[in-house]
Amino acid sequence: MTRSAAWTADRVSAAMQGLGTGESVAANRVRVSVPAARVLEALARTRDRLRCDHLIQIATVDTGTTFELHYHLTGAHRGIVSIRVELPRDAPRIRSAHGILPPAALYERQIHDLFGIEFEGHPDLRRLILNEDWPESEYPLRKDWVMDPGKSYGGAAKEVG
Amino acid sequence: MSLSRRLVAWARGKSPWIFLFNSGACNACDIEILAAITPRFDVERLGILAKGSPRHADILIVTGPVTRKQAARLRRVYDQMPEPKYVIATGACGANGGVFQGLYHVLGGADQVVPVDIYIAGCPPRPDEIIDGIAKCVALIKADARRDGRVTRRSGPAPPQEAVG
Repeated sequence: MTRSAAWTADRVSAAMQGLGTGESVAANRVRVSVPAARVLEALARTRDRLRCDHLIQIATVDTGTTFELHYHLTGAHRGIVSIRVELPRDAPRIRSAHGILPPAALYERQIHDLFGIEFEGHPDLRRLILNEDWPESEYPLRKDWVMDPGKSYGGAAKEVG
Repeated sequence: MSLSRRLVAWARGKSPWIFLFNSGACNACDIEILAAITPRFDVERLGILAKGSPRHADILIVTGPVTRKQAARLRRVYDQMPEPKYVIATGACGANGGVFQGLYHVLGGADQVVPVDIYIAGCPPRPDEIIDGIAKCVALIKADARRDGRVTRRSGPAPPQEAVG
């Protein structure tokens, strides 16, 4: 019996009572879909009841109709719990998770930079990946983003000589 | 040319100091350059010395495509170098962006930001090709010293034969 065998879908469902049900998506990974408004509660429960104190990453998916955030958490038991949240594409906003998991703030800066998702309550939502003079409201990792050849995306030198 | 100027020109041609700058490379070119400056290929026998500061360097070696974020930094490093200064762009990416051409975060080759004197082909170029590129850059340095000053490559006279062949 492996150490992660304890983290069955049933056990995760029990911990997430009222938020969502766990589905087993890999040998050691259980995914739970929760409403976006209650993501902080889900993360706190994952941390406290399932002893997942390590945020592996926040994956972002652009499905074309919605944005999905996948918070992958793990702990000393090596089982992975993925919290899946769907956000509307026209106004993607969600509460920042930095109060529960401080390293989330860095991931959220990057997601805000590349996908334009607003994280409410984030302490410091500056640019992280893109250049400083990148135009506002251009999010290069969105599926419907195309580069406008007539537009300046910054970084270019004034003159070479 | 005065004796002191001749002495400086001679020293510069005999021992060009290089500064390495990664403007967004995948590290392959950097590894080949490190191979070139470490004992197996050993460019130090030619007097070529890797320095830690652009203020001490004669030749700037740029690896990789220039990303939008690195462009201003590359330009600042170039501006910090004392005249006469020379730039070598390595690899397909240094020439025109290579496989990264057209990405949202990539400007293109090093010549988008700084004037490039020597391009070294390859993905990545082998250490002996890098040594060859530096040797050809040294030929440019010597030719410029003979005509007492650096010229712009685009409008100036043709480079010497040893820098071309």
